Amino acid sequence: MIWDSSLIGKYDLSGPRYTSYPTAPQFDSTISKIALIDKMLMPSEKPLSLYFHIPFCAHLCYYCACNKIVTKQYDKGVEYVELLGEEMRLRSLMLDHTRKVTQLHFGGGTPTFLTEELIQSLFNGIKQHFNLINDGTQDYSIEIDPREITYSKLKLLTEMGINRISIGVQDFDSKVQEAIHRIQPIKMVADLIGDARKLNIKSINFDLIYGLPYQSMEGFRATLADVVALSPERISLFNYAHLPERFRSQRRILDESLPAPSMKLDLLKMSIESLISAGYEYIGMDHFAKPSDSLAKAQKQGRLQRNFQGYTTHAGTDLIAFGVSAISDLSGTYMQNYTDLSHYRSSIEKGQLAIAKGYISDVDDRIRHQIIMTLIAQFELNTVLIEQKYNISFFEYFAEEVDNLKPMIKDGMVEIDSCGMQTTIKVTERGRLLIRCICMVFDKYLSGTIKYSKVI
Amino acid sequence: MSMAHTPSRFNSPLTSHCQNCSLSALCLPIALADEDINKLDQIIERKKPLKKGEFLFRQGDTFNSVYAVRSGTLKTFNITSYGEEQITGFYCPSELVGLSGIDSNKYPVSAKALETTTVCEIPFTHLEDLSVQIPSLRHQLFRIMSRKISDDQQMMVLLGKKNADEKVASFLLNLSNRFKIRGYSASSFRLSMSRGEIGNYLGLAVETVSRVITRFQKSELIHVDGKEIEILNFPEMQKLIGVASDCGKIARI
Repeated sequence: MIWDSSLIGKYDLSGPRYTSYPTAPQFDSTISKIALIDKMLMPSEKPLSLYFHIPFCAHLCYYCACNKIVTKQYDKGVEYVELLGEEMRLRSLMLDHTRKVTQLHFGGGTPTFLTEELIQSLFNGIKQHFNLINDGTQDYSIEIDPREITYSKLKLLTEMGINRISIGVQDFDSKVQEAIHRIQPIKMVADLIGDARKLNIKSINFDLIYGLPYQSMEGFRATLADVVALSPERISLFNYAHLPERFRSQRRILDESLPAPSMKLDLLKMSIESLISAGYEYIGMDHFAKPSDSLAKAQKQGRLQRNFQGYTTHAGTDLIAFGVSAISDLSGTYMQNYTDLSHYRSSIEKGQLAIAKGYISDVDDRIRHQIIMTLIAQFELNTVLIEQKYNISFFEYFAEEVDNLKPMIKDGMVEIDSCGMQTTIKVTERGRLLIRCICMVFDKYLSGTIKYSKVI
Repeated sequence: MSMAHTPSRFNSPLTSHCQNCSLSALCLPIALADEDINKLDQIIERKKPLKKGEFLFRQGDTFNSVYAVRSGTLKTFNITSYGEEQITGFYCPSELVGLSGIDSNKYPVSAKALETTTVCEIPFTHLEDLSVQIPSLRHQLFRIMSRKISDDQQMMVLLGKKNADEKVASFLLNLSNRFKIRGYSASSFRLSMSRGEIGNYLGLAVETVSRVITRFQKSELIHVDGKEIEILNFPEMQKLIGVASDCGKIARI
């Protein structure tokens, strides 16, 4: 990857992160539930990817824009796990029980908010309704708040099959931690990693955030040095998008404490350089991995995929998501649950799936989906594969889009290579950081009305 | 505050049996969606249980509904012009009975419970309307009807060409397969029909049926304990009806 300040200035656009296409703003609350459920009933033999959203947090982190419920009442988890159990039962009525669960992820909120007893009970439900594989090939992961985990809870999780963890680190600088209301000394994280390694967790991811209040170059450089020393297999480096008018908790962060836009770019540049010089590879949109990690290997072999959980090595799964705000994806049919607990609860109690919104992709959506996801995961697209799969002429079908790529080609972000029968659209080293802008060219639904986080 | 809840606070009418039902594509969408058109309870009536020997409908009754068997077994039969009963089929849990009435608007057969039996009643006009809205339901209905035609064709071959051993073996393997499809044991099940009814259905004398079953038991193909049947040797049974054991398929009647 090459850092090109002039391009970053010129293409300083907002854009979606494309964990789905079409993206969530296209999801429609008036869509017929029966039409969605009809799609769910279509027989399929694809493996399953399960997602569970645990919305509770014992602490409020001021930067957070996730769907969450802040509470110290740990018994709130009891009712919620029951609701998840009934949702699984209803959902599994429509599924072939033999389909293998190759991926499983717990996100939040804070999944480790659940007590050990509740974690056990949730897994009992999962095992009752789904075919967990636990043969070592599974990717079962959980997001961990270092303040809400014990050795015995982590041990229980590994016994249930969890073999990957993602730790919310954000920044080790104590001044920053105070300003975001998330105090977790480095020792706390180091101890967690020690425990995880002892329990044979095969992959650890760190979430880091740049653009947080009081971040400085020296401070974040020190954080990165500590991160590299702790040696996680994967690192996600997210931009903090300050939208206090949309996210109430962000109002606790003072505008004047935030780094200026130019400094944010410096922080990003320094972070990328530090991580790459420490041996990490830039996978794409916000993600880094060690060369030995499965993501980096999959990218080299052209097998990398993208879904709601970010990058993944598991191709062709159906994603079934449980809990408030969770989004399922069945080959381009998207379904999002109610984001508030009371709607979710009353639906499940009535014996209905708690679907608030949905989207059924048409063929054009699927073509664009494949193009965008391939570019994000692989940084190149063999147009012939699209032509063969969908029986179209790529450069006729996408004449306007290819035209819109021209300035990017001129700026050296994109190349179109013809070699014999193959024509490949390639994102150059210079273009990689701006992959969102390139993908946006193929997004039919973009209009000026939706606010996205800054492109980098 | 105690958060203990019993599972009964969940009000879904769906049970695990519904998943294996021939008409799952009807009930699952209606029960899982919150659209106020098509409330499941308005469409599907869970009738009170039929006792052994009770009729679900009689030959010549006006056709209004099809029925999905929830539990128990039904037989359908014609009364011939000589006044004799001819059994035309047996219906196990999750199978659909009554479809043959669509054409003439009358049931051409009678349906009677062989044991205590519960059914879900689905008014046919609703089924027609909903199959327009729910493509997977339409697909499922076509498959059920196609399966029925194919079963009847197999039955013609069976009645015309096969000897008594082949007929009884086909009958048992067919039942086994139907239980297996619905998630029950393929190797041990209960015959809710009498030897006489099996003979009537297969065109064999009751003595013949009993003799064949005894012979199968002696050659350790099956184990019989009253009405309980256990299939001990699937490959030999399949060989008997002319199905190669390695193809994994079981002939349907």
